[in-house]
Amino acid sequence: MGKRAQTRMIDALTYLILLIGAVGMVTPFLWMVSTSFKLPADQFTKTFIPPTFTLKNFQALFAYRDISFPLLFLNSTVIALLTTIGQLLTCSMAAFCFAVVRFKGREVLFTLLLLTLLIPFHVTLIPNFIIFSWLGLVGTSVPLWLPAFWGGAFGTFLLRQYFLTIPRDLVDAARVDGATLPQIYWQVYLPLAKPALAALAIFSFQGAWNDLLRPLVYMPAAPNTTLTVGLALFQTQMTRGGNFTVLMAGALISILPLLIVFFFAQRFFIEGIALTGVKR
Amino acid sequence: MKRTLFSLILVLILALTACAQAGGKPAASGGPVEIRFMAWGDPAELEVWKQIVADFEKENANVKVSVEVSDWDSYWTKLKTLLAANTPPDIFAIDAPLYKDYQARGVLLNLKPYLDANPGLLDGLYPVTLKAYETPEGYFGLPRDFQTIVVFYNKDMFDAAGVPYPQQGWTYDDLREIARKLTRDTNGDGKVDQYGFYADLWDMELIWSEGIWAYGGDVINADATRTLIGTPEARKAWKLFHDMIFVDGSWPDANTAAQYGGDPFLAGVAAMTTIGHWAIPGYAEASFKWDVAPMPAGPAGQATSVNSAGFVVAKATKYPQESFNFIKFVLSEKGQTRLAELGFACPVLKSVAESPAFLEQEVKVNHQVFLDSLAFARMKPSFKGYEEWSSVIGDGMSVVWTGEADLDATLDEVVKQADEVLAKNK
Amino acid sequence: MEAGLKPLGREKFWLWAMLTPTLFGLFFSAFGSLLATLALSFTRWDLLTPPQWAGFANYVALFKDPKYLTALINTVRFTAMYVPGVVIVSLLVAVLMNRGLKGISFFRTAYYLPAVTSAVATALVWQMIYGKDTGILNYLLESMGLQPVCWLCTDMALYSVTIVNIWGAIGEGMIIFLAGLTAIPKEYYEAAEMDGAKGIQKFFRITLPLITPSIFFQTLISTINAFQAYDYIYMLTRRGQGDSSVPVVVFSIYRNAWHFSNYGGASAQAIELTLIVAVLMGLYLWLEKRFVVYE
Repeated sequence: MGKRAQTRMIDALTYLILLIGAVGMVTPFLWMVSTSFKLPADQFTKTFIPPTFTLKNFQALFAYRDISFPLLFLNSTVIALLTTIGQLLTCSMAAFCFAVVRFKGREVLFTLLLLTLLIPFHVTLIPNFIIFSWLGLVGTSVPLWLPAFWGGAFGTFLLRQYFLTIPRDLVDAARVDGATLPQIYWQVYLPLAKPALAALAIFSFQGAWNDLLRPLVYMPAAPNTTLTVGLALFQTQMTRGGNFTVLMAGALISILPLLIVFFFAQRFFIEGIALTGVKR
Repeated sequence: MKRTLFSLILVLILALTACAQAGGKPAASGGPVEIRFMAWGDPAELEVWKQIVADFEKENANVKVSVEVSDWDSYWTKLKTLLAANTPPDIFAIDAPLYKDYQARGVLLNLKPYLDANPGLLDGLYPVTLKAYETPEGYFGLPRDFQTIVVFYNKDMFDAAGVPYPQQGWTYDDLREIARKLTRDTNGDGKVDQYGFYADLWDMELIWSEGIWAYGGDVINADATRTLIGTPEARKAWKLFHDMIFVDGSWPDANTAAQYGGDPFLAGVAAMTTIGHWAIPGYAEASFKWDVAPMPAGPAGQATSVNSAGFVVAKATKYPQESFNFIKFVLSEKGQTRLAELGFACPVLKSVAESPAFLEQEVKVNHQVFLDSLAFARMKPSFKGYEEWSSVIGDGMSVVWTGEADLDATLDEVVKQADEVLAKNK
Repeated sequence: MEAGLKPLGREKFWLWAMLTPTLFGLFFSAFGSLLATLALSFTRWDLLTPPQWAGFANYVALFKDPKYLTALINTVRFTAMYVPGVVIVSLLVAVLMNRGLKGISFFRTAYYLPAVTSAVATALVWQMIYGKDTGILNYLLESMGLQPVCWLCTDMALYSVTIVNIWGAIGEGMIIFLAGLTAIPKEYYEAAEMDGAKGIQKFFRITLPLITPSIFFQTLISTINAFQAYDYIYMLTRRGQGDSSVPVVVFSIYRNAWHFSNYGGASAQAIELTLIVAVLMGLYLWLEKRFVVYE
């Protein structure tokens, strides 16, 4: 078998495996889409195409004048964007220090940082809430995005791992050219770490977007809240009457922005590191 | 270049911050008194509360009420967080079984002075709904609506089988018999796909407290020190449920029910269920015809459960009088009529419950049944530690309803554990 | 790991300036999370009345509580399946996607979909897939002449929910690995090809060693996530308003904190969970020094 034919066969096999996997990954989602266009009475039918196609579930979402979707979207977007900016900025700075710079206490600090990831969220909600309450920030969206500007274990860890794989020679070369720490960070590491930054952007945006409990307790309820909290209101209907169709419609609406973010961020995963010009 | 980028980000942040804060809470100093009211509910309820508030504010020009509605699970988390930080809402909704827990921990305002100043205010309310809120020191809360449990039945299934609809005066034996008749394999694949009856057995409210009462037993003793669900009378009711599931097969077990979103009646695979008025707006979407009938009678007579949602005022409130006035307004004919329009619950104010606002609401079924059931209704218990106690029972018994554990042995164990919770909460 | 750039003179200032936000955050969460939780674990607190000192009572109660032990065992069993599942499957997916084939962006989005979709909604769909009489999975089994399985009954539920959790986490793992793979210089593969390495050999000789930083990250994060996972588990197996038929520790923490007026006990459970994960983390960090390849 020639090399070309062999490659082609591996390519075909790759497509086949990915396709089978994709069916498993996407089917539940497609089922959700289909259910969101079904009548409540048809929600358990096993047909993929809705027996009666309806837009009622989406209309039901928009039927309430006290729930302004533009406002919910705006609030969610603002919080998610600020969170993303804060995380990208502060986590990358810290990750750079932990990965590249030698300093006393580096290991201890990093381990301590990782430890903060371990405490389950449910028990830290109240202490944090009380602190923000003292600061007089409850009732605003500040407590939701401000913490993103003081770093975070997840993002710092993620970027540190990536920074550690960036060839040292690049740093040495920059050093020889007389670059300072901030310059190495900004001019060498950040441009090279685009894939990891894109990953962190996706995670930060999504985490903030889907967060339910924190916006719930920190922000005033229903009209002026986030999309996730607003949509959770419709869950009461579900638990009371067993209708899932509206919930599915709401879930569908709320993931569209996330898909847009993902779509734009994913192109960074193709770019590899260019070693050209670097002597090894 | 670097600097421009940084300043760009800075400007963006500032702009976004301004955006995020716009529409936040208005300045509190000066002007009218602002009180905060929190409840659980769905968007429709939020809308009705806003209307009630608008009506109230028209009559009380110096008071502004901000309404916050959250879904059921979120509501309790938010409420407890606010209470823990000592920044509770002035007024908040409460479920009667949990009321005593909050009251016993001293976070609620005693409404006695305000009620004393308004004699006759409670006269028009159904007395049984008030009972849940009574304490030796007075009322620390008041009901806003109530729920009695009744039987919902699928008319189409009854008609197809030629079985007469359930009537006042029917018994648990009749229920079992009818359920058996209506259990069938409609498509002939050898598997049952239509069940006669389904009710959720986790919480006592839907069927098991009613059954135990009808068979002459009780759920808990009066001072909440002993769990009574293991008495010989109570076991008769448990055995009936157990037999219907595992002998007759006319009641789907918990695993089977779960695949219908936990509601086989709405999914059109169970001919009867027991549930409260809150299910009506959701059931209105069902593809079959249905109606309601009173609970069946047992050897000790007929029994149903009555529960109410109510309001309490936080002890920490700065505006007790204004808060009380709002509650008073919701209990007035105007407020109760608005609430009745929602169609979720029964008004506690007799004159509204017996008016067309309730009896002739949008979904046309026999709403009178819910009111008539009050004649034999017993209060869902309320005491300190209720939630943990009811979870010990619900969780403990759940292995019986999936067929994994023996009924009697599990009951013995569950009663023991439940009594431990009661002792802990004394 | 003593390697690293030594800050020169004034650069010390820049180093600490860049670390300041994180140090502040560390300080905040050290107090707001770690120390507060630790302190509360020694109290009896119902959230409504002031906390009372309880000494070690909450910890003693943990060891005497058979339900907590069950939850702990379930959590450990879940983690033992979930972590390798997520790491292996998502690495495999990422490697296949990284072969530079056409139309991969479609696949990337498809594999990421479960990660963005709300757990409440997808859990409902999985409920329909797993249903014992009406489920799609059993329908397929029966049409192949096999016996139907009760996927969400007690003996199977742990495995069924693990699959759903892995399914929901592949997208995130995939992103981590895709990002990590971009850091492997193409030149290495070219050099290996010249030495005559084939596909599989290239994977073991180059990809696997050089992706170890991402594997390390993903393993640690998945472990933390596994110990804190509960949304799918509880939505698929919750009984009434009660506990799940596969009780896990985080759900126990949630219920004790918010529903059983036992914030102190919940904090003690959280601290114990943290200690367990911290031990695992120590093990990972030790393994990192031995096996993870950094530049």
